[in-house]
Amino acid sequence: MNFDLDQDQLDAAAGARRFFTDQASPAAARAALEEGPVQPGRQALADIGFLGITVAESTGGGGGALLDLAVVAEQAGAVLAGPSLVTAARAAVLLAEEPELAAALADGSRAFCVVDGSSPALDAVGADTFLALVDGDLVVGGGTVVTGQPMDATRGLGVVTLTDPRVLVPDAAALWARARDVALVVLAAEDLGTAGRAVEVGVAYAKERHAFGRAIGSYQAVKHSLVDAWVGVEQLRSLVWWSAWAADRAPDELPLAAAAAKAFAAETLERAAETCIQVHGGTGFTWEHDAHLYWRRAKVDRLLLGDAAEHHDVVAGLVLAGALS
Amino acid sequence: MDFDDTPDEAAYRARVRDLLAEHAADLVHLDAGEEAGDAAEQEQALRRTQRVLADAGLVGVAWAAEHGGQAGSLAQQAIVGQELARARVPALINHIGLGMCGPTVVAHGTPAQHERYLARLLRADDVWCQLFSEPASGSDLAALRTTAVRDGEDWVVNGQKVWTTLAHVADFGILLTRTDPGKPKHAGLTMFVVDMHAPGVTVRPLRQMGGQSDFNEVFFDDVRILDSERLGEPGEGWRVALTTLLNERVAVGGGGNDLGLSVESLARLAAAKLPGLTPERRVLARQAVGRAAVAALGNRYTGYRRLTAISQGGLPGPEASAGKLAGTAASRLVSDAGVRLLGDDAVFAVGTGDDGTGEDGAGRWQRNQAWLPGIAIAGGTDEVLRNIIGERVLGLPPEPREDKHRPFDAGSRA
Ligand SMILES: Cc1cc2nc3c(=O)[nH]c(=O)nc-3n(C[C@H](O)[C@H](O)[C@H](O)COP(=O)(O)OP(=O)(O)OC[C@H]3O[C@@H](n4cnc5c(N)ncnc54)[C@H](O)[C@@H]3O)c2cc1C
Repeated sequence: MNFDLDQDQLDAAAGARRFFTDQASPAAARAALEEGPVQPGRQALADIGFLGITVAESTGGGGGALLDLAVVAEQAGAVLAGPSLVTAARAAVLLAEEPELAAALADGSRAFCVVDGSSPALDAVGADTFLALVDGDLVVGGGTVVTGQPMDATRGLGVVTLTDPRVLVPDAAALWARARDVALVVLAAEDLGTAGRAVEVGVAYAKERHAFGRAIGSYQAVKHSLVDAWVGVEQLRSLVWWSAWAADRAPDELPLAAAAAKAFAAETLERAAETCIQVHGGTGFTWEHDAHLYWRRAKVDRLLLGDAAEHHDVVAGLVLAGALS
Repeated sequence: MDFDDTPDEAAYRARVRDLLAEHAADLVHLDAGEEAGDAAEQEQALRRTQRVLADAGLVGVAWAAEHGGQAGSLAQQAIVGQELARARVPALINHIGLGMCGPTVVAHGTPAQHERYLARLLRADDVWCQLFSEPASGSDLAALRTTAVRDGEDWVVNGQKVWTTLAHVADFGILLTRTDPGKPKHAGLTMFVVDMHAPGVTVRPLRQMGGQSDFNEVFFDDVRILDSERLGEPGEGWRVALTTLLNERVAVGGGGNDLGLSVESLARLAAAKLPGLTPERRVLARQAVGRAAVAALGNRYTGYRRLTAISQGGLPGPEASAGKLAGTAASRLVSDAGVRLLGDDAVFAVGTGDDGTGEDGAGRWQRNQAWLPGIAIAGGTDEVLRNIIGERVLGLPPEPREDKHRPFDAGSRA
């Protein structure tokens, strides 16, 4: 047993942190709310190779493990980057037997979006190639996208109507399920990054803001809520790493691990973001401060790909079926 | 990253299983939360169990060979823990000795003390307890008042300890005393090994809220302790106690072990009970089971991360406190889900059967539920652990501690 990242993954995380802090930021996320572009954008993500991390090497990808992608996704989440690596990871699974499309995913020449029924789809804005499960078959096609007022502009949410779908893989339910589990893992990894940053920002402020002659972080009401948020982040990190590892090395464990990670991510990010606002007082409620950007992510992400209640039920079902024995 | 056993670990696990099977007839087998009828019989059975395990090389797995251990890895230690749970062998009777007292004797004891105590501790020939808390000093441990006064080759101890787990069966204890009341409260403390059978030591069991008696009051009336039983230098007791507390953090929940009934036992109970519920209740019950499982798994894997870090040479740091906080919270969710699944049996134990649904089962879940409030207090309360994490891990400013630098006898003792 060895539950830690290896040196390559640590290096990848450090590299990703540098890339994302150069290319994206809460300020860019705020600008996106007022019609600015989502940063770093699909082409930049493709150029640095992040869209193809889990795409096979033979089709221009990195041939990496999901854990390699998860450590990068955490860094993306920390700066609210977009489009989401969830879409790339999920499409990479769906397109494993489709070299041309997989190559187009990795090099960014096509903009993919994966559609779940009638739910708003992640990264629908600007997408040109849509993947969906229709009558048990995996289909690909174009689509029209209806966007609303985005709660979190960096998520590119839209309701999609498919045009000209053609069957790519018949009887693809199992493939689809695996891809969705992989998406849950990567979403939880992005949320890990966002939640961790929200706690960091809250802690930094609690050290410098004074009230009643003391730094507010010395008051237990403030200290303890930040600690609880931090403990949640560390638990989430464990679930994200376990589920990413399971995707590659213990596929039987993936459904349980992915649902657990997603359920925990939904609630952990929400608490971290709400704590971050609360610790900042009135400042935290202003448009200029970053706190609401983490909060927006939290409020959107908790509902994407199933909420905590749905995933608690999945976990319960698997546990009852003997997943833990 | 790899959760699977390495080939070495797999071989070790197989050997542990073989050894447990070989000695099965000499070991106590109980489900978590289950108790034998007679306390004295249970004590003897548990001592025998630990002796058998120690002789088989399954106690003190990660302890150095010179101290009677197996010089094994933490992963091996964790494997033994998993296999003992799988074989339904209850926690070792000397868990305080192994988790807290032993490591303290190792770190601060003289070679003669190592010789005298450690091998017997591993075999539960001597059971140990930790005599720190007092009626007026729990969280604020350094405020303790039990005194030790030098008298020739001896020290003379007077005072009272409380909530001392296992004192009623213990042969030795590590005892934190005040030896210099004129110094600030952390500076005037000294640690000893005390013989629990010495004249002047009185142990009075306390009954806990769940009805059992695991802990005690201990009174010291002119108890004489030889200077050679001192652990560390006079006045260095706080530094010695920190070693104990550091190890306590890992021993209690820091390795991701379940603090109460396991999530696996909840799964068995749920499988038996859920089909009988109305659809509305089933939805709620599944939510509770799912939430408890997620929390327990998060804690388990966080414990694995910590074990990995320690086995790579890291020290058990203040982060381990997070394991106890999260472990306590997860155990409460597991226990609460279990108790609620029992339905009417949740408020009084009825029926028979060993599938977790009958008399034993109901009583087990109820006992576990009544144990968890203690877990959130023992070994540092949730609030104190949050202070430790907030200040030592997150670097938040400390609370004002007005009595820290004042001499103890000049007003530290509020
Ligand atoms: C099951 C069990 C087993 C135990 N076994 C042992 C043992 O073997 N040996 C031993 O020495 N002790 C043992 N203890 C004692 C245990 O260590 C103490 O109970 C614990 O440290 C708390 O101290 P206290 O009970 O005096 O509570 P107090 O310190 O009086 O605390 C009361 C309340 O005030 C809060 N509080 C105190 N200080 C602060 C602060 N600075 N900030 C915020 N809140 C604060 C606490 O969190 C708690 O809610 C055991 C206790 C239990 C319940």
